[in-house]
Amino acid sequence: MNKTAWILSGTATALVLMAPLAMAQDKAPVTWWYEQASPENQANLQTLLVDPFNAANAGDELSIDYRGSELDKQLRVAMLSGDGPDVVYTPGPAYVAAMAGAGQLLPLDDFAASLGWKDRLLPVFLDLGTYDGHLYALPKTYETLGLFYNKTFFAENGWTPPTTIPELEALADQMLAAGIVPFAAGNADWRPTNEHYVSIILNSIAGPDNVAKALRGEIPWTSEPFVKAVDTLNAWWQKGYFGPDYFSLTGEQAFAQLATGAAGMAPTGTWNFENVNTYFPPANAEPGFVGFPSGEGVPNPIYALGIGSTFSIAATSENPDGAAAVIDYVFSNEFYGAMNTVWQGEWNMPLRDLSGVTLGEGVLPLYGEAMGALASAVNANQYGYTTWTFFPPATDSYIVSGIEEVWLGSITTQDFLTQLDATFQQELSEGKVPTIPPRG
Amino acid sequence: MHRLFLLPTLLINVVVILIPACLTIALAFFNWDGMSTPHFIGFGNFVMLWNDRIFWRALENNIIWTGIFLTIPIAMGLLAATMLLVARRGGTFFQVIYFLPVVIATVITARIWQGMIYSPVTGVFGYLQNLGLPLVNPLSKPSMALYGVATVDLWHWWGFLCVIFFAALRQVPQEQIEAARIEGATFWQMMRYVLLPGIRPTIILMMIMTVIWSFLVFDFVYILTQGGPAFSSEVLSTLAYRKAFYDLNVGQAAAASIIISLFGLVATYFYIRVQSKEGEQ
Repeated sequence: MNKTAWILSGTATALVLMAPLAMAQDKAPVTWWYEQASPENQANLQTLLVDPFNAANAGDELSIDYRGSELDKQLRVAMLSGDGPDVVYTPGPAYVAAMAGAGQLLPLDDFAASLGWKDRLLPVFLDLGTYDGHLYALPKTYETLGLFYNKTFFAENGWTPPTTIPELEALADQMLAAGIVPFAAGNADWRPTNEHYVSIILNSIAGPDNVAKALRGEIPWTSEPFVKAVDTLNAWWQKGYFGPDYFSLTGEQAFAQLATGAAGMAPTGTWNFENVNTYFPPANAEPGFVGFPSGEGVPNPIYALGIGSTFSIAATSENPDGAAAVIDYVFSNEFYGAMNTVWQGEWNMPLRDLSGVTLGEGVLPLYGEAMGALASAVNANQYGYTTWTFFPPATDSYIVSGIEEVWLGSITTQDFLTQLDATFQQELSEGKVPTIPPRG
Repeated sequence: MHRLFLLPTLLINVVVILIPACLTIALAFFNWDGMSTPHFIGFGNFVMLWNDRIFWRALENNIIWTGIFLTIPIAMGLLAATMLLVARRGGTFFQVIYFLPVVIATVITARIWQGMIYSPVTGVFGYLQNLGLPLVNPLSKPSMALYGVATVDLWHWWGFLCVIFFAALRQVPQEQIEAARIEGATFWQMMRYVLLPGIRPTIILMMIMTVIWSFLVFDFVYILTQGGPAFSSEVLSTLAYRKAFYDLNVGQAAAASIIISLFGLVATYFYIRVQSKEGEQ
């Protein structure tokens, strides 16, 4: 082989070897930082989202980086330095307001119009992601609080799920007398579990209309309906409804007690559907889920609406179209069905119409029913407000610790609500309260 | 020319410590949520901390924590180190056993105690409860939570002190120890008149460092109780963390951090004084 042939063959080889590299370079990267996920669920995200998205979008290369439970702190620092991911995954609307105010997020109005998000998503969520008249965020998943119970155990005892607070208390008293812990509950692994119960009583006893008024600053948190609600929650604690080991049990350990009959009911969130198959079939028990009972004058059920996390696009993103395409892919019927078949409770995207969604075999029918009932309730404006979604950060943080002080007798209901109100009014004046959508 | 050797460490200190420290001091005078534009509020953050009953609870807990760590692990470490010195056999084995908890990652140690010892469901405490012993998880009781966390940190920490003290004790002149033995000194007399005076600088150094570390305590408290229940185990660093990352009040967090640093500075002053005295000697 002469010198020219060597050069030609070498060039040809180099071109062949560099072709995939050139193709990869043609693909614009889309980065997304995700929180913690088990290896199994990371594999689900790879096969159900990353691979099909990259195959369907020749110009984009999606990659997910798992950042663990401290994602929100890392994200804040990264956004501040303008070095965050393209798809911004925040812990909730309260963070979106601050990030949007700081100019760290891209308005999504044009994408919402061109990709038809306004027609496909429940309108309340579009309001929630709106800041200063522009859409900045969409919820990745929404959730609610309700009452899980053990159908088998209830049938054995001749009990029916309560629909009013007096019915709930009568049933809980019966359980206590029988040596059963009325509420399967524990906060050893997640202290903000406390606020689940505060959210429940604010919405189901004080009522969502009052909560909405207080969130808009029209009435103080020290108003009578809230006093009554917190007093009720405290009375439940003092009577022992939460059991002797609330501060020692993890959420999952507590939920397991429901399947075995050691505990009677679990006032908790729809995210616990992912634990149902782990604990109920081995105990030969069938799970049930209903809306939490309502107090006097409050419609039943009220589904307190929670947003675990939201999607936005970084203002500094070099590939905003790719990031919007990822978000759009997540809001497809196909992805909803596929993801909720393998991973329930964490991917309940706010699709307006779930009739086009097909869940795989093996998915608990109860899950589909609960999500359908929730979507209908939200569409009919019969929803409440979870503290972690609608309350500003310092108020929310105070609720988590403050309610423990009430339970443990360090402060009174009045003290708790006074400090809650003072913290809230301060944050309201600073514009830190997320948008409260109008109620129907 | 030899001063150039200081440059690399000086540069690292400026970038990693001095600049962030100056920024933290500046932020203590601003109202900032960590995202938007900071607003200058003078001493407002300090005034708010002064009026915050949780701040005083946290400060009190830090002082209790310091008291615990100035006494119990130092006493345990001294006692065990002296025994290692006196007992001629098995010293290496016991040193390894005592030191082992120090090298286990904090999170693992904390989770072991939380899940395998204190838990009423999966822990030793639960097993003993089933046998009829009236034990409760200390982390679940406001009156005991701080001590429950301190116990875990003590278990993890005292072996380090033991090894440090043992190393120091081995530097005590053998003639003094032999002379005391020949004179018929008891174990406690040996401690009181020979060994403790012999390692006094090491003990003082460890006590000063304990004060500094006690005001920085964060990891075990955060993992085991996050300052609860009902703020009963809150310390200044968990308070600062909560302010910064949950309340989105970075200014108050910075103010709390400055107060933590003030205690550290006082201890550092004494440390430097002791060091320079030793240098003079």
